[in-house]
Amino acid sequence: MRFLLRPPRLDDLAGAVAAARAARAAGLDGLLLAPSAELPAPLIAAAALAPAVDDVLLAAHVALGDRHPVEVAEEVAVTDLVCAGRLVVVAVPGAGVARADYEEALDLLRTALAARPFRFAGRRWTVPANLEQNVHGVERRVRVTPTPSRPRVEVWTAGAAAGPDGRRALGHVADADDDLGALAAAWSAAEAEAGPALIGAPRARHHTWDGDPAALRAALRAGREAFGQDWAIVRAEAGDAAALGREVRPHVQLDALPPGLEAHWADGLA
Amino acid sequence: MSHGTSRLGVGLWTFQSSATRPASIPEQYRRFAAQAALLDRHGFHSAWTAEHRLWYDGWCPALAHATAAGLAATERLRFSSAMMLLPQHDPGGVVANARTLHRLSGGRFDLGVGLGHRDAEFDALGLRRDRRGRLMDAALQTWDAAWDGDDRPPVWIGGLAPAAIARAARGGHRIMLPQTVLAHELAQHAEPFREQSEGGDGGAGVVGAMRDVWVEPDPARAERFMEAMVRHYREEAGAWWVLRGEVGFTAPEHLDRQMARVRACALVGGAEHVAAGLTALFDAGVDLVVVRLAFDFVEPAALEEQIARVADEVAPLLPAGRVVA
Repeated sequence: MRFLLRPPRLDDLAGAVAAARAARAAGLDGLLLAPSAELPAPLIAAAALAPAVDDVLLAAHVALGDRHPVEVAEEVAVTDLVCAGRLVVVAVPGAGVARADYEEALDLLRTALAARPFRFAGRRWTVPANLEQNVHGVERRVRVTPTPSRPRVEVWTAGAAAGPDGRRALGHVADADDDLGALAAAWSAAEAEAGPALIGAPRARHHTWDGDPAALRAALRAGREAFGQDWAIVRAEAGDAAALGREVRPHVQLDALPPGLEAHWADGLA
Repeated sequence: MSHGTSRLGVGLWTFQSSATRPASIPEQYRRFAAQAALLDRHGFHSAWTAEHRLWYDGWCPALAHATAAGLAATERLRFSSAMMLLPQHDPGGVVANARTLHRLSGGRFDLGVGLGHRDAEFDALGLRRDRRGRLMDAALQTWDAAWDGDDRPPVWIGGLAPAAIARAARGGHRIMLPQTVLAHELAQHAEPFREQSEGGDGGAGVVGAMRDVWVEPDPARAERFMEAMVRHYREEAGAWWVLRGEVGFTAPEHLDRQMARVRACALVGGAEHVAAGLTALFDAGVDLVVVRLAFDFVEPAALEEQIARVADEVAPLLPAGRVVA
């Protein structure tokens, strides 16, 4: 089980750096950056954080389907370079975006992040558009540059409208209140559709830290049992990262711990 | 703060790996933070990036994201762009990016925008190049409506054409004149701008100018730099510009004229020569000069040495004057 800390309020650079350092010090895998009124562009926040904090993954909500996906791809590529490959794109549908537009944007985004010139003829977007008014040096295929830091950028789907997607075989982030039975069915259907392509695709879910490690451990084990959950995105203050790192994370790494080990740890804490 | 550097910006970071000088692109993004910190230590006003998209060499298309990498390493330095191609961006996305940078930097981000010129860049995004003026105006309207009161980033409008000057004046924005304007020609652009300017972002009437600069007292070495720089601009204009309706390399006489202009305007030579050229710009009414030291063909170590030379040798020779926020 891997852990991303999602601080409830991120409104300046010092706070974001402190949260990322707390996650790192606690052995968590990284931060999830979602938009807020003060910081509406999570990719910018990721790019600002990356040079200040080593090692941690920087997962960022990226809205799809509202803006041109080529522009989004450029922002993702540059942010991934600044993050030296530590970026995870959590692709959420933009406000009011229909499922079909979200999926088309997802496909165009991933096409544009590859290293070959392409044409894309979608229902909503055509790239290049080859508009008759554009006359000089217009291209038949475009190559979006620069390329990201790694061979591929990690892209996960998320949001209520987008369940796990067998055809695209991407990671997926479930909401905290998604029904476990429904998630199990959705992942089984995705597996049936994708076959081996879905092996290793991250299965994440949102949680909120309420100070009760036993309850969070139980929720994580239940998620793993039901749909193979292997990532936890935990809404918690930077100051709670240490408790997550000590009292939750070690307990849920293995399928089962040797008898007596948790009691031994509890003794040490008491 | 060393006097003189506070009226100088430094540019242009483009993050290219070109045929002239292949380089690690990830390293350039990483090194930008250290180079921004160097500018900060020397008291420079600002660091300037520049945008294109779909170039073979990876020219940076997402300046706000590259800029963000410089924030944590700096305390006072401002960041801007010459230019971000505003008509090629989603206006709401520009606002969200700028709002985030404004907040994370503690108000150290300026939006620097230009029209863009290459048809293929517009076409990839489904936009008509011939509508770029209208797209620019619409995006600036979205921008103006997005901010309350005076707590907003200043806006620099790049260009030279009367339409650009009028657009900047109308919106209460600043202007950034290109590096190919000679000091004695500045007044013909700056004066109409100042006359037309009215209050807006608090920067009304602020005039910036760019200048290609290289501090090198040895004449033979200075000439070698000049030749490399002209070759750089010849490639850029030849491959990617349309000059009077023709792609650059197919219009060699236009290209030659443009390169003569580049050569005439550049300040390449000893510190006194460079300082005299910059002083002429300040004397002509420029508030901020963005010196271009960074090119695709310049090694990072040479760039860092030039930053120090401008700060240590040129800036002390510059006149005092209004320092723009």
